[in-house]
Amino acid sequence: MGSGTWSTDVYDAADRYRRSTGRSAFSYSDSGARTVHPALDPRDAMRESRDSDEHPQSTPVAVLFDVTGSMGNVPRVLQTKLPQLLGLLQRQGYATDPQIMFGAIGDATCDRVPLQVGQFESDNRMDDDLGRIVLEGGGGGQMTESYELAMYFMARHTRTDSWEKRGRRGYLFVIGDELAYPRAKAREVAGLIGDNLAEDVPLRQVVDEVTRCWDTYYLLPAGSHYAGNAKVLDFWRDLLGQNAVVLDDLDAVCETIALTIGLGEQAIDLDEGLRDLDRAGSAATGTVSKALARLDRRRRAEVSTLPAFRDTAGEVTRL
Amino acid sequence: MRHVAVVDLGYGDAGKGTVVDWLCATRPVHTVVRFNGGAQAAHNVVLRDGRHHTFAQFGAGSFHPGVRTHLSRHVVVDPLALAAEADHLATVGVPDALDRLTVDGRALLATPYHRAANRAREIARGADRHGSCGLGVGETVAYGLAHPDEAPRVADCRSPALLRRRLTALRDRLTVELGQLDAPPVEDCLPAFTGFAGRVAIVDDTWLAGALRAGTCVFEGAQGVLLDEWHGFHPYTTWSTTTFANADSLLAEAGQPGGATRIGVLRLVTTRHGPGPLVTEDVNLPLADPHNPTNPWQGLFRFGHFDAVAHRYALAAAGGVDGLALTHLDLAGPGLRICRRYDTTDRLTPGPPGDLDRQAALTARLLRSRPVYDDPPSDWAEAVRAELGAPVVLTSHGPTASDKTPLGPLLAPPALARLA
Repeated sequence: MGSGTWSTDVYDAADRYRRSTGRSAFSYSDSGARTVHPALDPRDAMRESRDSDEHPQSTPVAVLFDVTGSMGNVPRVLQTKLPQLLGLLQRQGYATDPQIMFGAIGDATCDRVPLQVGQFESDNRMDDDLGRIVLEGGGGGQMTESYELAMYFMARHTRTDSWEKRGRRGYLFVIGDELAYPRAKAREVAGLIGDNLAEDVPLRQVVDEVTRCWDTYYLLPAGSHYAGNAKVLDFWRDLLGQNAVVLDDLDAVCETIALTIGLGEQAIDLDEGLRDLDRAGSAATGTVSKALARLDRRRRAEVSTLPAFRDTAGEVTRL
Repeated sequence: MRHVAVVDLGYGDAGKGTVVDWLCATRPVHTVVRFNGGAQAAHNVVLRDGRHHTFAQFGAGSFHPGVRTHLSRHVVVDPLALAAEADHLATVGVPDALDRLTVDGRALLATPYHRAANRAREIARGADRHGSCGLGVGETVAYGLAHPDEAPRVADCRSPALLRRRLTALRDRLTVELGQLDAPPVEDCLPAFTGFAGRVAIVDDTWLAGALRAGTCVFEGAQGVLLDEWHGFHPYTTWSTTTFANADSLLAEAGQPGGATRIGVLRLVTTRHGPGPLVTEDVNLPLADPHNPTNPWQGLFRFGHFDAVAHRYALAAAGGVDGLALTHLDLAGPGLRICRRYDTTDRLTPGPPGDLDRQAALTARLLRSRPVYDDPPSDWAEAVRAELGAPVVLTSHGPTASDKTPLGPLLAPPALARLA
């Protein structure tokens, strides 16, 4: 005969369900909201990731995903998966004191809510931000979204102790399936973010600025409209190189992000990370391995102090 | 498609959880169906990497990605314990347990009022405790029988006004009977129950029929046949049918009568947690169970030699099996003996369900019985087969799925699953 192993406290249970339900629905969007939630409004906003007594070595992580129609059901899947990210990072020790921010990207030429950005949080308050995101579901059909505005915001409207105190870049993940516009338009920046620019900022400059203090990745997931489209991938490879990553199973998004950070922090190599996933019962190892193989190879090359060469006789790669 | 039903032929704790985990590790399983008991079940599953979970309401196959859990209408559902269990599963690498859960809307709800009443009654029994776990499962069943149209059920969680009415009536009735209950106000309970309804898929009976058509299902029993509400040793029983009967009725209702292979689980050391007869109990057996510590509701975990008399009785009460799973073979040794008869009894025969006077008389007889021991057999699997007249089709030599060995074709993993 068994025994009472799990807590039956009524208040505790209500809280557990509240937390787990906040994750499973865009409650704000589904309730009919069509304007940006005040908590996510980028206008005149500065998002900060700061050290604290509790988190003395903060590692900022920003995840911004496309919420336009071409992404199909992807945002809803992301919303059920992303709350696991913090736990995954903390459990595996891939990053010290991770602070995570979520945001959403639309199309400033036709959407009502083209940019939504939450706060950096180190607890489940970030789930609340996920619940407040408005899904656009529109999009212009021209294979372009306002990723440049999101990157402009990240470049000029974020402050991190990680960068300011330690000179360490944070991690920015943009999840989407289309091209960016060629310029961050001064008019859109003024309207959405509140900066008065003398002229438009070319996309290349936006990317240069954002990658200065953010290690920036573009994830192109399966299930989105243009997934696997060579034009989209080539576009982002041209801007971000190997940091443009194809993800053939959206269920693996958290694992992919976590391992990318683990690799970036040099906490693990890819094999160790995949072993961690396997041990944790994750079904995502295949997808993650495929997505990150290129990143891992580059990292190994980066840390090598001697030129790599292949001993063709012994089939051994030496670094 | 052949389903599998797993039932414990002892007093519980024989290793149903680890057998269900093994079944899900060795073949594609669609859903683990719970068909009795409630949150007081404690099915321990240990993985090779050391991760461990005590399954109470989730199916013991949950470590395997994609394997669902269905709580049938025969289960007493405790949404409070369920939330805590889901959180623990997330910490051991199963973040989507709630997403893989379906609950029959007709199942009874265990509430803080049932729990408080259960504890108040058990405390009032003093030294004559029944071995209740203090979670109110029996109390929930009793209230459901006394007030079938007003007992809170899972589907009520979707209607806060209806649930409020039913919780209030429940609280008031139990308070009149037992005095002030140590439980929170109705208004404070509502958010937990409505939160449960908002998060978990509540389904009707057609869901299970679909699952049974969609793939192999494993029916996971809780407790043990020797604790069965009608065939156990009254009053040291559980308010639950622990035989195959509920699984049989669910299969029949879904149009697949007799569609499951019946597996009876036995532990080499007969154990009991809580008071009541355990004829072969031997306090000198040098054993301890890491997952069954002494607790205030059931006391010490008790160990005894293999009681073939009691297990034969359980097998008859359960209506026979297709095969036996014998666990804890790693405990075999010269100190562990087999009891084939008691001093005054060779055989116990089940009576008709419902005759509790007969069961109480049986209990009195067992409490006076003394075991007669034979030397430990050299081949335990063969000895158990000979005593119970059913083949041993799975042996277990340790806590994890990889410590299991199927014997014969009945549970042999399908070739495809083995390749994967």
